[in-house]
Amino acid sequence: MTIYFFYFFSFLILSSSILVIFSNNAVHSVLYLIFTFFNSAILFLLMNAEFLAMTIVIVYVGAIAVLFLFVVMMLNITESEIKEGFLKYFPFGLILIAIFISELFLVFNFQNFPIPENVKINVNEAMLTESSNTKLIGLFLYTDYFIIFQISGFILLLAMIGAIVLAQSDERKLKSTSSIDQKKVRKKDIIKLN
Amino acid sequence: MEPFNFLILSSLLFSVGFLGIFINRKNLITILMSIELMLLSANINFIGFSDLLGDLSGQIFSLFILVVAAAEAAIGLAILTIFFKKSNSISVDSINRLKG
Repeated sequence: MTIYFFYFFSFLILSSSILVIFSNNAVHSVLYLIFTFFNSAILFLLMNAEFLAMTIVIVYVGAIAVLFLFVVMMLNITESEIKEGFLKYFPFGLILIAIFISELFLVFNFQNFPIPENVKINVNEAMLTESSNTKLIGLFLYTDYFIIFQISGFILLLAMIGAIVLAQSDERKLKSTSSIDQKKVRKKDIIKLN
Repeated sequence: MEPFNFLILSSLLFSVGFLGIFINRKNLITILMSIELMLLSANINFIGFSDLLGDLSGQIFSLFILVVAAAEAAIGLAILTIFFKKSNSISVDSINRLKG
């Protein structure tokens, strides 16, 4: 039963991702992207990754896709010129993809595909003591992968600072007093005693 | 679940993203979306192997991929906005200011 669900949702993912790259309207493209992310969240649920499924919905659909939608609607792009040069690049891309996929499938059909025997965090063992997926991820994220967790926090901080700095316009529209001019003021210039 | 189904799915999804970078030369936003699709296929690979091997590390690394995807989308869209403000187009072919 699970395998048919897997096939159904992977078909939906592939078809909607093809619609993402082929649709003329950028807004439709973003909506298909949201649909792809929803279906992949369901796929993650089938693969026993409940926390990641909900995180995909929150981060991708709630943050990234809305960001894309906002930018698409802000930029006001004309649709007519978007598909120029399609025929020029499409055959080349198709050839490269054919090479890439055939290489990958050669690797997959290789008989003794290396599957490592020893795993780092055995889920079946850990599930005996802890019951939920989220609790297990928290348990290992804050201990074994603590340094990487901190570094990913810094990456998010850098992204925030970078986006703010890039989006700031050069000229200042705010009316504010210049501190240098304030320091230059002398007492005899403004106070006059007669 | 069949063991290597997710490998086929993720390679096909990666190829779709790859093709999206090639054919959308006039639209930088769709190129960024194709990059998101490629990162999603990497996520599917990680989680599929996490399910196959019974190893939780795949899910944790998938979380880090999510962080990188969010940072990349924010920075990329900020660069796109200022590029559109300067040159009034989002075509890849018009990005040639460093050519000299």
